[in-house]
Amino acid sequence: MLRLLLLLVTVGGGVLQSTVVAVAGVGGITPDVPLILTVLIALRYGPESGCLAGFVAGLLQDATGGGLVGVQALTKGLAGFGMGLLVGRFWVSNPLVQVPGLVLLSVAEGLGRFLLLQMFHYPASLGDLMLHVILPQALYNGLIGTLCILAEAAYELMRRRTWM
Amino acid sequence: MLLVSLLLLTVQTRGGGTGRAGELVAIAVTPLQSLLVRIHRGALGFWANYIDWKSVRRENATLRGENEQLRVQALQAGETREENARLRRLLVLRDRLPLATVAGEVIGREAGGWVRSLTVNRGRGDGIAQQTPVIVPEGLVGRVVQAHRGTAVIQLLNDPASTVGAVVQRTRTAGLVEGDAGGAVRFKFMARDGASVAPGDLVVTSGLGTLFPKGLPVGRVVKIEDKGSALFHFAVLAPAVDFSRVEEVLLVTGQTTQDVAGLFPSDG
Repeated sequence: MLRLLLLLVTVGGGVLQSTVVAVAGVGGITPDVPLILTVLIALRYGPESGCLAGFVAGLLQDATGGGLVGVQALTKGLAGFGMGLLVGRFWVSNPLVQVPGLVLLSVAEGLGRFLLLQMFHYPASLGDLMLHVILPQALYNGLIGTLCILAEAAYELMRRRTWM
Repeated sequence: MLLVSLLLLTVQTRGGGTGRAGELVAIAVTPLQSLLVRIHRGALGFWANYIDWKSVRRENATLRGENEQLRVQALQAGETREENARLRRLLVLRDRLPLATVAGEVIGREAGGWVRSLTVNRGRGDGIAQQTPVIVPEGLVGRVVQAHRGTAVIQLLNDPASTVGAVVQRTRTAGLVEGDAGGAVRFKFMARDGASVAPGDLVVTSGLGTLFPKGLPVGRVVKIEDKGSALFHFAVLAPAVDFSRVEEVLLVTGQTTQDVAGLFPSDG
């Protein structure tokens, strides 16, 4: 059941990314919804689930986006695994750590992706990518992550009140 | 009550008529009567108002519903009208082109910056192969980089890995059109050949090689960037196509050596 849910969330995130999110960018920058979902899944269900979710989400993005298939599967899988490992350490359960963590993880994922793409002679320079893609997207991810965390907290609060 | 009745009877018997007693009763009753009438009228009015309010409220809800429905219908009609206009323009171009083409609809986008692409609902099953040029009535969109059975992924001109051979239409200065990480499109040309390239010049595909037909509009020069290189200059282009608004495309499956620039709008 959990695996099915993870799969649904991950595939749904990928579909959302290539349809709704792609046309709702700000200044040409779009958030990386599959990465945000990967991080949220890793925070909740641990490194294995985070890794699996990241891998599937990345693979889906690679396959539908027209890039090299496997690059995002690897970087997002690692991001999910890494975030899952950090749960319980460095106050990662605290939202004040989660949001900057998501931003830093987005930057790290971008750098990892760039390094991997260098092996395939990706033409854009790191400076350009950092300025136009990695940093703006990381900040956007942070914003969306904040909204997700707030929504989750509100949902938990409502659920507790209903039980009381 | 008994006393009052007796009193009234006495007054009538002594006075010989009903006038005085009637008057007394009238004096006592009239204000009460008029008060009752007022209350009655007020109550009736209130009820009537309540009934009116209820029916107006119901009517209002119905009208709101109808209004909502009409708005949706108007939006749908507008959307259909726009789609119709786009398809008409595509059809006109398709009829004019001396090339075999397949029309496709955009079903997905990748706009994250690392890769800029569109996914269309045409693939290998429709005769689409890798490197198939993709156009719209305004000009060149890009090329197919992945052809699956029922879908194809199109690399947009502003993808960082996109490179297209092009010339400035007016001066015939040859160069390469490249995308960059920021989403801009640049025309890279030999500095010694491009002294007269100026803002406003139209850049079209060169037709060198066999990939893109000659003369497909790519964009207009916005400014020339001399980055200090002795060898190359860069011209920043305003793409002929607004990639974020592309919804239907033509995938060019045939080949031609003819210059097709005249088939596209000259302001593109």
